[in-house]
Amino acid sequence: MANGATVAAPLARTLISRRTRELVTGYLYLVPVVVVLGATVLFPILKAMRMSLYNHVLIKPQEYRYVGLANYVRLLHDEVFWQSLWNSCLWVFGSVSFQFLGGFAGALLLHRSFRGRILVRTITLLPWIIPGVVVALVWEFIYQPNYGLLNDILSRAGLMTERVAWLSSPALAMPAVIATNVWRGVPFFAIMLLAGLQAIPTELYEAARVDGASVVQRFTHVTLPLLRPIIVVATATRIVWTFNYADLIFVMTGGGPANATQITSTYTLLQAYSNLDFGYAATLSVVLLLIMLAFTVFYLRVTRGLESVS
Amino acid sequence: MDQRMLSRRQLLKTMAATGAIAATDLAWWEEPLLRPRRAWGAAPVRFQFSVPEPKRNALVESLVQRFNQSQNDFEVKVEFVPQAQARQKLITSIAAGNPPDCAQVWDNWVGEFDGMGAVEDLTGKVKDWKHYSDVLPIAWQTVTVKGHIESFPWVVTNDALYYRTDRLKEYGLKAPKDDWTFDEFLTLTKGFTKTDKNQYGFGMRGQGTWAVLYATEFMYANGAQVLKDGKVVINSKEAAEALDWYLDLFRKYKVCPPSVPTDGWRGIVEGFGRGVTNTYIHNSGSLEEQKGFVGEKNFATVPLPLGPAKKRASFYFSETLTGFNKGKNREGAWRFMSWLMDDEPNLMYTKGLGLLPSRKSLFQRPEFQNDPSYQGFLKSFPFSMVSPYLAYAGWGGKIDSEGVPLFQQALVGKLGSKEFLDKFAEVLTKNMS
Repeated sequence: MANGATVAAPLARTLISRRTRELVTGYLYLVPVVVVLGATVLFPILKAMRMSLYNHVLIKPQEYRYVGLANYVRLLHDEVFWQSLWNSCLWVFGSVSFQFLGGFAGALLLHRSFRGRILVRTITLLPWIIPGVVVALVWEFIYQPNYGLLNDILSRAGLMTERVAWLSSPALAMPAVIATNVWRGVPFFAIMLLAGLQAIPTELYEAARVDGASVVQRFTHVTLPLLRPIIVVATATRIVWTFNYADLIFVMTGGGPANATQITSTYTLLQAYSNLDFGYAATLSVVLLLIMLAFTVFYLRVTRGLESVS
Repeated sequence: MDQRMLSRRQLLKTMAATGAIAATDLAWWEEPLLRPRRAWGAAPVRFQFSVPEPKRNALVESLVQRFNQSQNDFEVKVEFVPQAQARQKLITSIAAGNPPDCAQVWDNWVGEFDGMGAVEDLTGKVKDWKHYSDVLPIAWQTVTVKGHIESFPWVVTNDALYYRTDRLKEYGLKAPKDDWTFDEFLTLTKGFTKTDKNQYGFGMRGQGTWAVLYATEFMYANGAQVLKDGKVVINSKEAAEALDWYLDLFRKYKVCPPSVPTDGWRGIVEGFGRGVTNTYIHNSGSLEEQKGFVGEKNFATVPLPLGPAKKRASFYFSETLTGFNKGKNREGAWRFMSWLMDDEPNLMYTKGLGLLPSRKSLFQRPEFQNDPSYQGFLKSFPFSMVSPYLAYAGWGGKIDSEGVPLFQQALVGKLGSKEFLDKFAEVLTKNMS
């Protein structure tokens, strides 16, 4: 029956092509992430950038006004800012380098088999688990010159005749807070590097041993190259984190004495919460962001290089 | 008390126990808890209290409960805020348009709040208040900004020197007289310094606003001033000489503990309490604490020494009750604040903490006049003055954030006294607003 024959009717064309639909769906899945990141990361950054262009001192609401780059000009002439930037470099370099060395040594030790290894690993993590403020208070007491633990031990051991003001002397305060930060950060590197060590196939060591490689050669030619990606990632993360870390110094010295331990993050806090100068504090934050961005670009280049090597 | 006998934990326990005992020992404080609570009508009054120590907390909680039981129009709710964050929390709440109805604040903050247009002007009400003429005129001065009375001077105090009487006898030293001099002060602190025993003659303060204020008191004793004819003159020759002498106590004569550059209020009070220092300058606020730490009979107070100019100064300050004009129940706040100034609540609060009442009739009571430990403060009243740093609201935060780091630089020898004073004068001149 010719009349009754069904004729294939073309499907109605959709408004958007399949490819476009898939693309839009994909982007829609990203919307929650974009919204969350925008609200929690991008918006505060933009807000800080805007704030840095204003004279925004909370105790002087009548003087609130747009000042353009005046806060940035002020920063260029601010001696304490430059001192705090230099102190930040010392703080980051001193902390991260010793944390790395201590952590590496700890990881190598923990990688060996011995009785009670699990217990020792757990104990090693303790400084990392304790909250930063608690660590600061404990070490403040240890360093207390008049009745602190350190001076007491040193004088009882006959190693000290005159009490040392660890946190009150401008020359000693920075090394003292760095030592505390090293104590706290060693477990971070130890655990990261231990994970890396455990991922290195033992066959490589066996092959190196068969080839007559010494302990040092096995370390420099097998261990170190294979740990390099982890070292770079851990070190870079730690540098960024230490640069922004204010709790320890804020509690132990408040940036003193005489700004000897004032780092950029504590100086920003001081401007925001003591002077209530939000405009200038925002300016400091933006500049620190730029410094960290520059570092991150450098860091990304380094890691990309490593990826290609690996 | 030997410092080895008192650990940090013991010290904290003692402090907590003192508060607990004070709160439980006095039936007066307990009484409100035994009565039934009443229903509340109007919006509650939010009262911010910024020195949350165990003893003060107990006193303030009891006062608030007692007030709430005394009337049924509204309820007072107390909010305890750590002292370190109190000023910033108040300022941010003012900026956000949601301040408490009233708060306990230091007199040097009132000017800042006034500058923000946030403070309730109490001038009219205060002048009709029943105890207006009973309050010491100098106390009103501490809370008067641009001719307006902005707060109640809840309690007042000035500075004097605490010293150990037991060790004075032990070391055969001469007790300081009321009109003693800089030289005698130096002799005493040298005699008190026994480094082999970890004891020092003077607990100098190196951190916080009062580190600069105590040094300024010594500069005044040499004839210096902060302001003269509307100009900052703290960098005068007299000021530099006196500051040199004062800083040399730490730098040259070594009669101070090495911790000075980072010793704040707790540092100097604990240093004396633990027996590390044998003298320190403070207001009467640590009297009661020291009675617990070193024993009532083992210390005394004396006015600050006379300087080469045969002058001296003790800076007077008050702990205020301040109302905010954006408060939800301003009338309630007034009623609560004026009630706190009444005889019984005021006496209990001041005596309980070792502070002095701002009302003459309470101030003259034997509890204060006959207590030997108060003598240094009472004898300092004739030459006490309102802190010159209250002159400009803009100086409030700057002394702490810029003045103190500069002072610390002078303390550790990075800046000379004159150099420090020149820089400090610059900071003050820039912020005369």
